[in-house]
Amino acid sequence: MVQMTYVEAIKSAIQEEMRADDSVFMVGQDIRGAIYPHSKGLVEEFGEDRIVDTPMSEFGMFGTAFGAAMTGEYRPIVDFMFAACSFCAGETLMVQLGQQYFLHGSQTPVPMVILGACGTGKRLANDHSYIPRAEILHRPGLKYVFPSTPADAKGLMASAIRDNNPVFFLYHYDLLMDKGEVPEGQYYIPLGETEVKREGTDITVLANGLMYKHAMEVAEKLEGEINVEVLDPRSFEPFDLDTLLASLEKTNHLVIVDEDHARCGFAAEVMAQVFEKGFDLLDAPIERVCIENMPIPGGYMEPTVVPTPEKVEAAIRRVLA
Amino acid sequence: MGLSKKLMTQLFTNLVRAYHFDELFARRLTRGELIGFYHPAAGHYAPGVAAGTVLEKEDYMWPHHRAHGVPHMLSKGCDIKYFLAEHTGKETGCCSGRTSWHWSYPEFGIFGMTGFIGGGFSQMVGYGWAAQKNGRKQVAMSCTGDGSFNNGRAHESMLMASNWKLPIIFLCENNGWAIHSRIEDMHPTEDIASLAPGLNIPAAIVDGQDVFACAEALQEAVKRARKGDGPTLIEAKTVRWREHDIGTPDLDGYRQRTKEELEALHDRDPLKIATQQVLETKLLTQAQIDKIHEDALAECDACEKFADESAIAEPTVEELRASVYAD
Amino acid sequence: MAHPIKMPKVAMAMNEGTVTEWLVGEGAKVSRNQELFSIETEKTAYEVEGTHEGFLHITVPKGETVPVEAVVGYIAESEAELAELQAAGAAVAASASAPEPVAEVAAKAAPTAPAAPPQVAASGTDRIKASPLAKRMAQMDGIDLAQVAGTGPGGRIKKRDILAHDAGSATTTSAETADHGRTVKARVPLTGMRGAIADAMAKANAETAHTHIFGEIDISETLAMRKRFVAKAEKLGTKVSMNAIFMKAMAVAARHVPIANATLENGEVIIWNNVNIGMAVSLEGQTEFDSGLIVPVVKDVQSKGLVEIDLEIRRLIAAARDGSLAPDDTKGGTITLSSTAGFWPGYATSTALINVPQVMIVQPSTAVQKPVVVDGKIVIRDMMPISLTMDHRALDGVPFAKFYTIFHECLADPDTMLA
Repeated sequence: MVQMTYVEAIKSAIQEEMRADDSVFMVGQDIRGAIYPHSKGLVEEFGEDRIVDTPMSEFGMFGTAFGAAMTGEYRPIVDFMFAACSFCAGETLMVQLGQQYFLHGSQTPVPMVILGACGTGKRLANDHSYIPRAEILHRPGLKYVFPSTPADAKGLMASAIRDNNPVFFLYHYDLLMDKGEVPEGQYYIPLGETEVKREGTDITVLANGLMYKHAMEVAEKLEGEINVEVLDPRSFEPFDLDTLLASLEKTNHLVIVDEDHARCGFAAEVMAQVFEKGFDLLDAPIERVCIENMPIPGGYMEPTVVPTPEKVEAAIRRVLA
Repeated sequence: MGLSKKLMTQLFTNLVRAYHFDELFARRLTRGELIGFYHPAAGHYAPGVAAGTVLEKEDYMWPHHRAHGVPHMLSKGCDIKYFLAEHTGKETGCCSGRTSWHWSYPEFGIFGMTGFIGGGFSQMVGYGWAAQKNGRKQVAMSCTGDGSFNNGRAHESMLMASNWKLPIIFLCENNGWAIHSRIEDMHPTEDIASLAPGLNIPAAIVDGQDVFACAEALQEAVKRARKGDGPTLIEAKTVRWREHDIGTPDLDGYRQRTKEELEALHDRDPLKIATQQVLETKLLTQAQIDKIHEDALAECDACEKFADESAIAEPTVEELRASVYAD
Repeated sequence: MAHPIKMPKVAMAMNEGTVTEWLVGEGAKVSRNQELFSIETEKTAYEVEGTHEGFLHITVPKGETVPVEAVVGYIAESEAELAELQAAGAAVAASASAPEPVAEVAAKAAPTAPAAPPQVAASGTDRIKASPLAKRMAQMDGIDLAQVAGTGPGGRIKKRDILAHDAGSATTTSAETADHGRTVKARVPLTGMRGAIADAMAKANAETAHTHIFGEIDISETLAMRKRFVAKAEKLGTKVSMNAIFMKAMAVAARHVPIANATLENGEVIIWNNVNIGMAVSLEGQTEFDSGLIVPVVKDVQSKGLVEIDLEIRRLIAAARDGSLAPDDTKGGTITLSSTAGFWPGYATSTALINVPQVMIVQPSTAVQKPVVVDGKIVIRDMMPISLTMDHRALDGVPFAKFYTIFHECLADPDTMLA
């Protein structure tokens, strides 16, 4: 184990995988200079052929990775810098990427990672703050992971690079400098394993990323009064429902905290799955704590609109009423 | 002419095949024997034949929307029976019957498509990037129409290809129509090729009804690409004497195209022009030409037989679920 | 057609009621407006009258607690209809004991009463709200959800209610449940009055900014005065109690410090003209192990004399003890007296929890004789320990001290109270 930050952990996984496999390369804008330090120093180690800066041409930049992945000889990482910027690659990303393998007879895998930073907390307003999630999860054929801790960041990135499918690896700005214990050397977290990050008996809180931190803060505050179990999906697609159901066997109460709008979001999807597969486990209606249904404002009003520890605690109390 | 006799014979043969396959697909659609739709070549097939013929099997290619890329793919060596089977919803289809009209011949460097015009420009950069890096001197051929160059992706693709000197040939098969819109209403200059100089890409304009002229220009561009000199834009001026896709009215804007103007286009039939050329240059005799037609029709029959005898693709939902993600 | 008899909602906050007694037997002919059964709610007891003439069919037996609006019986229009209802009830009761498929159980759980005729069962208003988990537990344990009191939002039956229900049945049988080497003597479910007390106390503790004052009052003069009143009991019509005197003193203090006679709700403090003094009355509990508590209200103490106050106190205590308090008797309080005088041992005081949404509670305790210094001499006086609790959200130390000082003076020198 070694102490490192979330962003160092991302870099560490990229480095390990690039050292192990020549077919891995990274393409993005200003990644050689490393606006975000996850690519800092990589060009010096791997050269300009494998750490590739592109013009501000997201279609072309994304296509570089997409096309190269399809040839079967490369495992690209495409870095959109800001996650919502991925939509600049429009139809290629949102329609073609997910359908490519399945529609064409499951013959041509598309092993690639789509990387982007996002999240609230920096008060940068919707375009920068917003986490593309529901849109991606709604498109079959795509995988989606989001790390909450440095160890998650390393293990999920390494698995994403090794996966033979397009994997969105989005990460949170507000966690970049969080420190934590990270296994040394190659380390993989299988996609599709919800982690019980804190054991509890009274209520399950499903939360990820910055929301995971909120959930842990509330859980610790309520210690002694309410025994909160905190689950982190880590991988949203594939999503591990079984671990959540096992938790609900014990707690019978669920709050889902999702840093996305509630409408048609991941939280709504989990609710639906729990209703379908775990209805009898519920002793109270599930509550969602999500972003208000409006474009996320920046400035001082941001906490009014996004989930906060106070809102999470209030939801816990309502569900347990 | 800088083309070998062998290549010219190949080009002529492929042109004949493309003509008969276009007739076949169009006929089957109007008889209800295709399950999806079909955008007929209708005079617009020489550039595709040339593009497919000058490439090697391993080269990457994005065939053209028109004629669903049949001229391009058959010329590149793809067996069209799998494509016809795809168009008839059969499990032997090149996409296992999952699309009704998508191409997929990975071993020929053709990896699948989207139905939206200009949709191939993005990944073309990736094909070109892979071809440049893998050291095997491959090239990537992008075959699109004039309408595709109205799309922003065309700019990004050419910009990056030029920037990185990628081995890409941008073939613009300009038939003058983006669906039912005239190019002069949609594009500010007479030639699409005018886009290239600003991005430092060499460009050439050729007669798209002359398969040999097309091949000559494309061969030159391929040579440049293989040498590492970067991309080329070839604009082939062609015609389309039928509607955009079979079943929709054949319009000029919102006005029906007239019988007279369509008939005039038939004078520019590439097969007519090529036949004249091979006879004049004595490349082929009439008997040889007849044999080529005969063989092409037999190939069409065999493809139809294969498709018709194949089982309808009716996988279970479990089988389909297991096919969404790669292992 | 049979007319359903429902558990009435006799108080705003009432979620459930217990059928404490059927005043008429199964099958008896009843008339309209005849008292059919008595109920006990969190706050009070009440007689429920019939709405129609006919024959009574009981579906919720004596002692059961059901949510408000739940059907507890029917009035059949004819004897034939009565027989049908009775037969249907028997059939359902018989089938309920046999294991059933899940789907049927869900359907069965929906109508409130097992014996509900189809036309009643079909109406949505009688639906029992229960969590999916509670439904599954009830099915596995063979519990009829109609017999379980729900304590969740909107009266929803939750897991805890099923557990409480199980525990309730266990107390009557035996104390045999072993738990880590301990054995259970009894279980007291937090339902009914106990549940209401628990909720009110927890709310007071969690939601008010309670702070206290402790004191000792020389009530020798007050006791002497009371002695004189008691001597004239026949003439006055009552033996004026200390509680009446405490109330009078509270009304005087409230006149001078109006903020003490207030309620705090929905972000505002409402100061009342009427001094309506709640009075904590202890009652027996649900089992031999617990106790009960109810707070009837003496209205308009500010305009009543000691005798009037005392007579009202006596009426309310009697009604509370025999369960005949009217719903209105426990409503409208503005300040509360919770006297521990008499049963608290001498020298002891306690802190009372505020009766929310009120902002003040007064808790006198048992007086004892003590040597005290008066005019430089040690004399024996009757000294009463006392505590007051206020909600610091509504008022501050100065008015609190003023209220206490006036109250103190009234009892130390009762002339000031009566003058």
